[in-house]
Amino acid sequence: MLEIRNLVKVYPGPVAALQGVSLDVPQGMFGLLGPNGAGKTTLMRIVAGLLEPTSGTVHFNGEDIVADPRRIRRQLGYLPQDFGFYPHLTGESMLRFLLVLKGVQAPQGVKRLASELLDRVNLSYAAKRKVKGYSGGMRQRLGIAQALAGDPRLLVVDEPTAGLDPEERLRFYRLLAELAEDRTVLLSTHIVDDISVLCPRVAIMYDGRFVADTTPAEARSRLAGTIYQGVVEKDDLDRIDRDYRVTQAILFEGRNEVRIHLDEGPPPEGFEAAEPTLEDAYLLLAQANASGNGSAVAEEARS
Amino acid sequence: MNSFARWWEVARREFLAGLRRPSNWVLLLIVGLMAWFLSEGSVTISTGGSGVGAERPHITSVFNQSLIQCVIIMVIAAWFMAISCGMVVIRDLELQVVEMFHSTRLTPREYVWGKFGGAVGVFAAIWMFYLGLSMFAAHVVRGAGGSDLVGEFALGNYLFPTLLFGVPQILLFAGVPFLLGTWTRRPILVFAFPLAAILVTMTFLSSWSPSWLPPEINRLLMLLDPSGSRWLNETFLTVDRGVEFYNTAPLDPDTGFLLSRMAFGLVGLAAVAGAARVYARRTLAGGVESRFLRRLRRRRAALPVPATPSKATVADLEMATRPLGFWKATKLIARSEVRDLVVRPGMYLFVPLILFQVLTATVLAIGPFNSRILLTSGALAASQLNTLNLLICFLLLFYTVESLHKERSRRLHEIFSSTPVGTGAVLLGKTLGNSVVAGFILLAALIGDAVMIGWQQLFGGSPVGFDAFPFLAAWGLVLIPTFIFWTALITALFSLFRSRYAVYGVGTALIIYTVFDMQTGGSPTWVTNWLGWNFVSWSDMGPFTLHGTPLVLNRLLYLSLVPLLVALSVKWFGRQDFDAMGIVHRIRPKPLLLGTLRALPFAAPAIILASTLAMKGESGYQGDAADEWTEDYWRKNTATWTDFRMPSVTHVDMNLDFEPGERSVAVEGEYTFHNHRDHAYERIPVTAGPWDPIEWTMEGESYEPDDRANLFVFTPDEPLEPGDSLTIGFSYDFVFMEGMSKRPGGAGQFILESGIVLTAFSPTFAPVPGYLPGIGVDGDNSSEPRDYEDDFFEGETEPLFGWGGAPFTVRTRITTPEAYTANGVGRKVSDEVVDGRRTVVWETDHPVSLFNVVAGKYAVSEGDGTAIYHHPDHDYNIEEMTAALDAARRYYSEWFYPFPWELLKISEFPAYAGYAQGFPTNITFSEGIGFLAKSDPLSHVAFMVVAHEAAHQWWGNLLTPGEGPGGNILSEGMAHYATTLLHGQVYGDRYRIEFSKRIEESYGDGRFVDSERAMVKTDGSRAGDGTVTYDKGGWVMWMLQQEMGRDNILAGLRAFIAKYNPDPDFPVIQDMLAVLRDFAPDTTAFDDFAAQWFHDVVVPEYEFSDVTKEREGDGWVVRGTVANAGTGRMRVEVGAVVGERWSDEGDDRGRTVVADGYRDARTAVVLGAGESAEFVIRADFEPERVLIDPDVLVLQLNREAAVFEW
Repeated sequence: MLEIRNLVKVYPGPVAALQGVSLDVPQGMFGLLGPNGAGKTTLMRIVAGLLEPTSGTVHFNGEDIVADPRRIRRQLGYLPQDFGFYPHLTGESMLRFLLVLKGVQAPQGVKRLASELLDRVNLSYAAKRKVKGYSGGMRQRLGIAQALAGDPRLLVVDEPTAGLDPEERLRFYRLLAELAEDRTVLLSTHIVDDISVLCPRVAIMYDGRFVADTTPAEARSRLAGTIYQGVVEKDDLDRIDRDYRVTQAILFEGRNEVRIHLDEGPPPEGFEAAEPTLEDAYLLLAQANASGNGSAVAEEARS
Repeated sequence: MNSFARWWEVARREFLAGLRRPSNWVLLLIVGLMAWFLSEGSVTISTGGSGVGAERPHITSVFNQSLIQCVIIMVIAAWFMAISCGMVVIRDLELQVVEMFHSTRLTPREYVWGKFGGAVGVFAAIWMFYLGLSMFAAHVVRGAGGSDLVGEFALGNYLFPTLLFGVPQILLFAGVPFLLGTWTRRPILVFAFPLAAILVTMTFLSSWSPSWLPPEINRLLMLLDPSGSRWLNETFLTVDRGVEFYNTAPLDPDTGFLLSRMAFGLVGLAAVAGAARVYARRTLAGGVESRFLRRLRRRRAALPVPATPSKATVADLEMATRPLGFWKATKLIARSEVRDLVVRPGMYLFVPLILFQVLTATVLAIGPFNSRILLTSGALAASQLNTLNLLICFLLLFYTVESLHKERSRRLHEIFSSTPVGTGAVLLGKTLGNSVVAGFILLAALIGDAVMIGWQQLFGGSPVGFDAFPFLAAWGLVLIPTFIFWTALITALFSLFRSRYAVYGVGTALIIYTVFDMQTGGSPTWVTNWLGWNFVSWSDMGPFTLHGTPLVLNRLLYLSLVPLLVALSVKWFGRQDFDAMGIVHRIRPKPLLLGTLRALPFAAPAIILASTLAMKGESGYQGDAADEWTEDYWRKNTATWTDFRMPSVTHVDMNLDFEPGERSVAVEGEYTFHNHRDHAYERIPVTAGPWDPIEWTMEGESYEPDDRANLFVFTPDEPLEPGDSLTIGFSYDFVFMEGMSKRPGGAGQFILESGIVLTAFSPTFAPVPGYLPGIGVDGDNSSEPRDYEDDFFEGETEPLFGWGGAPFTVRTRITTPEAYTANGVGRKVSDEVVDGRRTVVWETDHPVSLFNVVAGKYAVSEGDGTAIYHHPDHDYNIEEMTAALDAARRYYSEWFYPFPWELLKISEFPAYAGYAQGFPTNITFSEGIGFLAKSDPLSHVAFMVVAHEAAHQWWGNLLTPGEGPGGNILSEGMAHYATTLLHGQVYGDRYRIEFSKRIEESYGDGRFVDSERAMVKTDGSRAGDGTVTYDKGGWVMWMLQQEMGRDNILAGLRAFIAKYNPDPDFPVIQDMLAVLRDFAPDTTAFDDFAAQWFHDVVVPEYEFSDVTKEREGDGWVVRGTVANAGTGRMRVEVGAVVGERWSDEGDDRGRTVVADGYRDARTAVVLGAGESAEFVIRADFEPERVLIDPDVLVLQLNREAAVFEW
């Protein structure tokens, strides 16, 4: 169990990246959703022991990570949002180096283990290539391989699917899901699909605060019957936007496919009830927080 | 936005970013401090008078500003500039911003030139600050105080040097690293260029200038020197042109130099253009690839991508985690660093560069009289110590910082930092890995030295073999601890600042400050000298015997700081980004106090060691307490005793019992005084050293003299009447150089296990009769030199050195451990060993004016009435030295005065001092002089120094000069003259000419035009008096010989010595001239010569013009004009010659052989100052060149320029 209490992080400026957040992350997959600048990466880095908070505590399985970040490193698998490798090493050498650094052991030996991990992330064919020749997706997969290595009790992955093609993304989902069976996985992303597919629980961050702590199903069910979808001519879009709470408006082949949230009253003409998605819930929260009405919507989402 | 606006925006942004960079602030601080302190006049052109009221060189003159600017830019700015400019593109690439830039309309060319402009702009701003502060400090601050160092303000004096020396260097040192950084994208290569340039420039291009360097090579080096300092020195500064010239004349660069400056600037700009081109290709076209790389890429692209990855789960892998132990992790990190070093080009660039620098500097090293130096293991190990130390510290600075920054620059740091490996292991592993560079360089230098020594042995005929011990001892003791400490310090600084630029700035500033301080007279103590600078004065006779203990303690001190630095590094190292508030909390008084208390155990050993070194040094022989008695001595006695004339000493009896291992000696002795004057003495003062307690006797009875701060005044019951004698006895024992030294360096006299050398000049081991006015004089109580009347020498003149009065006899009984041989003055009358203690007794068989003692574990080489006592391994030059000593004894006896003593000997002493002294019968040589000189046939340097020092038996001992102007020329100038004669006698004209040319050049380079006075006025108090005393003194006597004829002058000199040996009146130059005049065949010519060379300051400088040659009948006619651009009127020959004059064939040990093809035809002219004359030379051969003074008979300036070649 990862317990975060009253965590505050103020950067020089000052910029309050975390404004006293508290959260309990149980064993299993836990999603952290939020827009850019919400404070997700700051939180992940504090949890990974890479950033000192201004105040607050973080405990993992009873161990105080803030007081002694070394404690978490023994049981941590970490995939940062932005990372690189030694460019002159081959993928296999790089991974082997990191495996040894982490103290990873396996019956088949570290060398064989590195090969098999590369196989798991579909990089075997490039194992002997130097990392500087890797594409962005290949580098991301190498990063995933190192994060999965060992037997981390806490896996912190920040925007893990960025740069992955759909096939690799699915493969990664499967690997994560497998790992999450008996450990804590904290997944930070702004890609709502990742959360929808993987996370039984999700916390939504906005402006350094948690505005929701829920499950995707709860978030969706709470919106049941309030989401409508329709196609709107370009000239009508302003009117719809003025009169209704538009969650999404996508211009497709010259026409706007629009989803709106409507608590009561009839929907606009041509709109039909639609199945709510986690994205609807997330976007509604984002809009509400941007307009200063966040707490009410958050309450709605949290309940 | 147009192209210029985009360029301007990039430049502006880079400029503003540069202003925030710590390294630029460090540079600003450094140049600011330099501007301020240089305005005090600590660096000025060596010119002008040194007396009160003499005109002094202005710090504000264009020449002085040029001297300062070209050095500052090269040494300091080039370094910061290169890093600043070389890293701009690398930094943007690391930040991954360039692709976004180029998605706009910004072109690669605009970007590159903008970046360059911004980076150079920062430096230009710093330089403007420097110039502004220099002007302010000089003209406003110092000028307001009426400083005679400040001239009238002229903006051009500051800006012209900047344009001439600064701008080309700035463009070069900005442009080339910029290209390297942009092209290779490797920081290490960016550092390589300035390091290489500074090394090659400072140690070779701008400074290497042996006398035998051909003028055309010299000119080429001037043009190749990017700093321009060689051109400035060789064209204007080396030969002093007088203070007025430097203060008022404009600086006129010649066309060749101007073109070379433009070329440097253009190279810099071309490099930027190249960088723009490379950048455009790499950034926009995907990189510049060789054909090989393209093939490789295609082949890789063709590799199939498997479509069927494993379906196995992660759990199948059965992974577990067990964090690595400390040592395993350290090993892993270290191995990774080494692999990284191996694949990077830096090491392959730096190592040869440093090796080249170290080894060539050693090979090109110039010793006394421009001689080459014998390469021995000890000398090499010690001489390379500072260079290796400095260069490797710089290298470790780059590698350590780049290594610590590596994960961050490659964006691996978050993954790396989240692993469970310990921070201590990471830091230690990185340190060990990077130390491989240092180890590799040391190993390579060791192998290089072994090869050089082997080469010298195999092909140079040197008997010296390679010995690894000195390298292991000196390098191991000094370098390794420095590197460990330095790496720990850099790591701690990086951990604290977390900015590579801040660490580069601070680290570089620290090294520059340390070296600058030490090179400009700062004297860091054993506590503060962290770098190990000048730590080892190697002696084959016993290394580390002088400073062994403090050296070891110093090394332990800095090693003991390592745990503290490591602890701080581990605490601060940036695996976790600190919170700003957390930092504020940590620096509150209470946490700071607690932190300090926690650090105390780590700091305790260092505090203890530093305190020990400080206290022991302060209480030792270099401490303030050791000198306290000298101040009292001066204060209590100077008014009473300065003009007191002593009775003579007629006999000295000394018993000396040495324990070299303990640096101690027990002394018992007696002086017999004789009143040779016409008045009675009521009191007799004797100066003693700090040898408490001293048992004194007078006339054999115990006596307590009046102790006036070590001037002991004896008052006999009855005054000492004229003709009466009195004995004063003494006994004491003491440790010489008691306690620990305070700072590294040599010692003039010592009792050490490796050897003993003591002289009776001053009270180091024996009391000195009378009051010594030099003791206790320092900056606070020094006075202007005495102003002598023109007739000061009339009547009795006191001796220049020695104890005064007539020569005396000496009996020295010296006891040492059996292995030592102890030498005193006179002849050995007994030598016996009892119970492992050797006692030798030396007695003078003819009176002497001074005495000394020297001892060591010697081998002896005996000649004809001569002997050389030397370290058994130092027999390289013994044959030549013995020949010189034999020849000196024989010919000087014939020429000057019969040698009155039975034995003339030389004894070697350890190189903790670097002098040679010609005490009567007992000459002492430091091992670095003569014994370890590389005595090639051309220089005969071993012969030369022996000939000079042996000459002091006559010129110094048999004839002791008088005190006053010109006196010392009768010692040192005459010794050079005697050396000139002995060269000609033994080796012939070729080698006499070679020696004469060398001391002539030494005079030309070393004289101070405005300070120089006539030889009869030269008293050693002014700058440049040394070269007048030695070089000009010897030369003028050589010219006087041409004037008088050899037999006449030698007869005159014999008469001169005979007249004054002994005599209560000690002679000076005027006395010598008075005697010689009687032997001159033409007294009018003699008087004319004496008037201009002894009583005036003249020196000719000849120039040719309009020289032609044409065939006439069977022969050739050479016509031309020769002018005397200097001063003085001399008859001088002009020669038209063909072929090389001297042949090496059949050359037996360097004797002169004239080459077959050489022919010359001559004429002579007599030219006064500013006069010119046409000359005609008829020759029956076609001349190749015309030269002045072919036989080197007339002292002149710039002789090498007075040659015309077809």
